[in-house]
Amino acid sequence: MASNYLSNSALKAINRIGDMMIPRNGEFPSFSEVGGIAYIDDLVSYAPPADIKDLNLLLTILAFMPNFVLRWLLNRMENSMESSGPLAPIFRMLDVGLRGLIFSCYYTEKIPASYTGKKPLDIIGFDLTRVED
Amino acid sequence: MYDYIIIGTGPSGGNIAHNLFKAGANILVLEAGKLMNKKTFPRTEADTSARLYWGGGIEFDTDAKMGFLRTRVVGGTSIVNQCLLDRFDDIAFNDWKAESGVNWFTNEQLAKHYDTVEHALALHTFTANEMNRNAQLFTQSCDKIGVKWGYLRKGQSDCAQERGNDCMACLGGCHRDSKQSSYAGYLRDDIAAGLNIQTETEVTQIVNNGNTVTLHALQQGKPLTFQAKNIVLAGGAFGTTKMLLQSGFKKQLPALGKNFSTHPQFMSFGLFNEEIHAYKGYFQTVASKDPNLRQKGYKLENVFAPPISAAMLFSRTGAYHQEIMRNYTRMTCIEVAVRDENAGEIKVDNKGKLTIDKPFTAQDRRRRDEGRELIANILTNEGAKKVYASPFSVGLHLMGGSVMGTDSAKSVVDPEFRVHGYKNMFVADSSIYPNAPGINPSLTIMALAQKLSDQLIGANHGI
Repeated sequence: MASNYLSNSALKAINRIGDMMIPRNGEFPSFSEVGGIAYIDDLVSYAPPADIKDLNLLLTILAFMPNFVLRWLLNRMENSMESSGPLAPIFRMLDVGLRGLIFSCYYTEKIPASYTGKKPLDIIGFDLTRVED
Repeated sequence: MYDYIIIGTGPSGGNIAHNLFKAGANILVLEAGKLMNKKTFPRTEADTSARLYWGGGIEFDTDAKMGFLRTRVVGGTSIVNQCLLDRFDDIAFNDWKAESGVNWFTNEQLAKHYDTVEHALALHTFTANEMNRNAQLFTQSCDKIGVKWGYLRKGQSDCAQERGNDCMACLGGCHRDSKQSSYAGYLRDDIAAGLNIQTETEVTQIVNNGNTVTLHALQQGKPLTFQAKNIVLAGGAFGTTKMLLQSGFKKQLPALGKNFSTHPQFMSFGLFNEEIHAYKGYFQTVASKDPNLRQKGYKLENVFAPPISAAMLFSRTGAYHQEIMRNYTRMTCIEVAVRDENAGEIKVDNKGKLTIDKPFTAQDRRRRDEGRELIANILTNEGAKKVYASPFSVGLHLMGGSVMGTDSAKSVVDPEFRVHGYKNMFVADSSIYPNAPGINPSLTIMALAQKLSDQLIGANHGI
């Protein structure tokens, strides 16, 4: 797995955070098992270069955090909607940004052929019909 | 030297470009986004967010409590919305008149412009047999507890419902050209007929030279300059206001950036034992049409969200998240759309980035809470086992920032759509809305654009 926009450390961080947000649970595969991150360039390539640089930096920092710190951070982010104080908006933005990346790579039609399990969209029963002429 | 440069191609710019092009004016259309069509619109939800929206899908207010959805594509918002087209009522226009001092803000004065737009587009009012299960449960419950509801009117020509098409797919652009976006409704045929349009071109500065206007722009990073006798700003509340702010017009126009409103929307989901499949078919056919709720300042919309958006609307992850998503097809959804106070302000920071202050006022909160309580009542009456109220709010209708009014100290645009003090700079998009109407804004944006088009063509004797 490689990206033209994100470093290996950044990709590693996405998989780690993804597995914390979406662990293997019953019929749901874990985030990293599905492998939707293989198509992350399709999402990131449209962002302005400055934003990609910031994202790389953030994810690289997160990649080197110990698990317990990362879990604390994710918990802090999850509960940030009702928080106040100068850091609260940063946690809220982090929360939406990271969940956006993770969910976009998980609830997706773009999954590598190497993944042979049931796809998350099939598990939740999403089957959109698009009639094109 | 162009007669007119139109900046933006949404419901306003698309309409004006079409009318001036048909009238034979020498025009150029500039658009920050790409030109896409029914074959090239994104086919996945993730690609839609990344490719069609500024900010990779969402932009935030400075407090990061509210997210804004703003498109960047030829056709603008009309590419991704549900194209719900309603005229304003007297409540909306009376409030506009009171705030702006503009006396032609009436249904009577705008009737011929509404008529022209409605005649040009294919419109469809939904019927009982087009409701999906989500809508059936909503209307049954509304009837039980005495909330009035009505069928929505949508701009669409052929959605192939009889062949099982799901309209949720068109949130990323209609793959059938059925939805009456400003692209399908106006620009597609004009571009084929030779309309001069330059895409992926973002205007960075406006210089008014008196009788002409110079525009500095970046086209895929390359600096370009354009000149015109007149310009029409149609970049929407954020785009138009940003262009004026970063060009230094705030000095002459103290109201620039102020009076921003957005109809914040809060979704609640109801969990049922039965399969609902709320994303199937026409997924938005009905809404509350209750004078009592209108008076209270909110409305209820029967909606649903595709999977990534639904996942985003719940704040939790892990097993809780998976439990909700496992029940995706057994959920119904209703949102409360608040007629919010125009207390927001659009600014540009010293790096040229937009910043949005959007205080959620005590009145806004009261309206949201009342609406949520009513939704919980409706969902429970429908038979929901559990109700999930999302903590997130989303602003889809971006309005104000360059509002119209008679007083140049309190407004940016005069009653003839001119930026105060400039005879050759016009605005007719949602940025001129004096306050939140509480009604879907698209049709009235087009009617106002039609009024400006008629004014420009009339002033130039047909051009």
